Amino acid sequence: MLERLKRPWPDHRAERTLGAVSLLVGVVIVAMIAFVAVRSWPIFQHNGLRWLGGGGDFEAEIARMNAATAHPTAADYQLRAWPLLYGTLLSTAIAVVLGIAIAVLASVFIVELAPRRVSRVVIPVVRLLASVPSVIYGLIGILVLVPFVGNHLVSEGDRRSVLGVVQLTGAGLAPTVAILTVMITPIMIALVCEALEAVPPSWKEGAVALGLNPLRAVRAVTLKAIRPAIVAAAVLATARALGEAVMIQMVSGGKTFAPNLDHGVPVFLFEPLRTLASAILDFREGIGSPSLKAAVYSFSLLLLLSAFVLSVGGYLVKLPLRRYQARA
Amino acid sequence: MHRIRRLSAALTVAGVVGVAAPAVAGATSLVTISGATSSYPLVSLLAAKYVKLHPHKIRFKIAQGGTTVGINDVKAGSVTIADVAQEPTSADADLDFYPIAKYAICVVTNKANTLANLTSAQVSAIFTGKDSSWSQIPGASASGPIEVFTRTSVAGVLTSFKSLLLEGKSVVKSATEEATEGLMRQAVENAPGGIGFLSNYQADKGGLNSVSYNGVACNKTTAASGQYAGVSVFFEVTKGPASGGAAAFIHWIDQSGAAKKIIASQWVPIG
Amino acid sequence: MSAVAVHSGRTRGRRSSPMSWRWSDRLALAAAWLAGLSLCLIAAAIVLYMGYRGIQYLRPGMIFERPQVSADQAGSGGFLDPLLGTIVVSAIGIAIAMPLAVASAVWITEYGQGGRVSRSLARVVESSIEIVAGTPDIVIAIFGLAVFQLPLLAPLSFQAEGGGVFGRSFIAAGAMMSLLALPPLYAATRDGLQAVPAQMREAAFALGKTRITTVRRVLLPSVRSNIATGTTLGISRIVGSTAIVLILLGSTLRIETQGAVPVVNLLRGTGSSLTTYVYENSPAGEGAAPEKAYAAAFVLLVLVLALNVAIERLGRGRRDVVSSVI
Repeated sequence: MLERLKRPWPDHRAERTLGAVSLLVGVVIVAMIAFVAVRSWPIFQHNGLRWLGGGGDFEAEIARMNAATAHPTAADYQLRAWPLLYGTLLSTAIAVVLGIAIAVLASVFIVELAPRRVSRVVIPVVRLLASVPSVIYGLIGILVLVPFVGNHLVSEGDRRSVLGVVQLTGAGLAPTVAILTVMITPIMIALVCEALEAVPPSWKEGAVALGLNPLRAVRAVTLKAIRPAIVAAAVLATARALGEAVMIQMVSGGKTFAPNLDHGVPVFLFEPLRTLASAILDFREGIGSPSLKAAVYSFSLLLLLSAFVLSVGGYLVKLPLRRYQARA
Repeated sequence: MHRIRRLSAALTVAGVVGVAAPAVAGATSLVTISGATSSYPLVSLLAAKYVKLHPHKIRFKIAQGGTTVGINDVKAGSVTIADVAQEPTSADADLDFYPIAKYAICVVTNKANTLANLTSAQVSAIFTGKDSSWSQIPGASASGPIEVFTRTSVAGVLTSFKSLLLEGKSVVKSATEEATEGLMRQAVENAPGGIGFLSNYQADKGGLNSVSYNGVACNKTTAASGQYAGVSVFFEVTKGPASGGAAAFIHWIDQSGAAKKIIASQWVPIG
Repeated sequence: MSAVAVHSGRTRGRRSSPMSWRWSDRLALAAAWLAGLSLCLIAAAIVLYMGYRGIQYLRPGMIFERPQVSADQAGSGGFLDPLLGTIVVSAIGIAIAMPLAVASAVWITEYGQGGRVSRSLARVVESSIEIVAGTPDIVIAIFGLAVFQLPLLAPLSFQAEGGGVFGRSFIAAGAMMSLLALPPLYAATRDGLQAVPAQMREAAFALGKTRITTVRRVLLPSVRSNIATGTTLGISRIVGSTAIVLILLGSTLRIETQGAVPVVNLLRGTGSSLTTYVYENSPAGEGAAPEKAYAAAFVLLVLVLALNVAIERLGRGRRDVVSSVI
């Protein structure tokens, strides 16, 4: 038997074995969706889709889930997780918008404006930023950024204005968005740089020949040409930002609160928040309680589905990129 | 020839599995613990000492999560022992509570805030949100709004704090919840206008201002003598009577001099 | 003229001086420079600050000392166990990911171009790997918990007294880490295989070799450096991941083996990694020892930087298969 294994295989057997092994990945994806969906079913069963909405007291609901026994009643499954969704969407949206702006500017800088010596330094710097582990970002955030915000940026007047509603400790939207932007921008820069370099130089030269200065030529011609790449980069960055759990859990303040624009701009930025991913980390130890377990799995399901949607969206967006033979 | 090889391969696999299975089963007993973050330092030290004194006989896996998480886990059978930092309630009828040490719950403020004493009325007013500014508290050197820190709902220390020092009331909703004692300490240390509550072990670590309650300072001595009002108990909790390795461990904590030495170093011995 | 590949930014010729530009353009120029330079500044700040704190708090002995359980975490012990934990988890992750990734890459490039069935299956596999690449770490971790807490897989961790499967062990964490390492390994191998010119395959077929033998003896050896690059990329992703280890490795400070069989008991055991050690010692965990957190974070950063340098070296030294054949 072992002899037969050692002899070179006929092609059809090799093909089928390799194919089966490859399809294992597909099986894993299906299993992932199945397991997570099945375990989050109780939340949908008892709340319908209303669990995505607001109106409940999230912290009290979680407290109730923690205290529930091994045989929870229907009331133990009550959940209104809108603050989590809002926190996730808010932090991701701000970080991605800021990130795109910085990424495009930096990519134009690297590809078009910087002298070769400077580019040669900046490119490894971008790669470095992309590879720093999120726990180190979180460490610097919680030991440097959060005390800075709490002690120097939040004023007593700010604290007084939200007295009785929420406490401003420095951990909250501002450090979260700042670090999240730094984390996702390098990914976008890599994509946008590749796309910039793939644009045929004759397009820009034509614009310059017509009298535009080089930067205006870039703005008028090249940037418009790489629009699909910018969108693809944004999609990739959004996926990364949605899934960031550790760093956000360390600097976001750990209070389920929906930052409220009505409180005015600086205060709004200092308010704590919680995202889906950081909530999963926060409640990971209580997963022994069946109702809390279902809640945690339902947050995971949301993240999984959004990653899925973004993957599909990213693929659809990359199709026009093929026009420029840009590898994205 | 091939058949012999196949047979010998099968026998080897069976032999390994056959040896491994009973070996795995008869290995050192494993005691899993989860629960209170306040008793985690104590239980870790006790477990480490116990393993040192009884090598190769027992192993511990100690997790945290909070008192309520521990109780749920032990009820569900996921852990052998739960660390609990609050008194048993009617819901815990099928559980056995074994006290191992007492601890005092201290009200703490930031080090820069030289508040020496708070009456029970003042503590209630501050933590329920009635008094929201340090200017309303005589003796406090901090200014501005009071930043109240509390624990998440699963904490035994919170339950004990509410019943012993807060007259059963609830902490104000806007207070920031911290998941562990360590986090609570960090929070109060970093907030000049902060106030919170901790077990005496954490409060004694320095870096915080421990506030007297009704004139009584919060430390091991006043807790042992009964003077200090906010004294609660650390329990080791099992589902039904403790048995096997867990029973031996709990018995050792109760009886041995080494365990008593560890408990007396930072906490208050039972009885 | 157009055949000369000129980098678009270099065809400046007679440059127009920014002084003659409109205000908005000058502003854009300043903004671009600001963006580029501030990124450099941030990176420098991170590296310098971590370096400063690391040198302040890292004693060389820490790398070789085991963590101590003590009332005063700040003074005692090192982080040998977490460092070993990182190594073990990476090893398990790569060991599982490599056969999967290489098999998939080989199948897709060599066998997946055939009939309609194999082409659509190939697209399924490619999309699956892309979906895995886009899945957040934390969801993979939760999925791992769901899988390894099945009673069927109890031998892979341990079963608590009341029947609950613990579900957290080195093998659980390593298996999920393999999902992290799979996409970069797969992409690198596939790109390498696609870059091998058709002549090499045709030469092998002309000599009478089957496709699978060609793969084994000709193609795979020639993409060794691609596989090495992909493996290093995978390792750097694994080393930097915290969420999976937090949820799936059991959070014991020291490596605790489970059972008596020598290698299996490590796989079934629990431990921690460098990343969770940093997390637990930071103010987000117990917060008792930020000094330890800084020291371990410094080591982690050095490790990641070293992996980065390795990736770059491997990428540069990659044998350009095209030029070596022609």
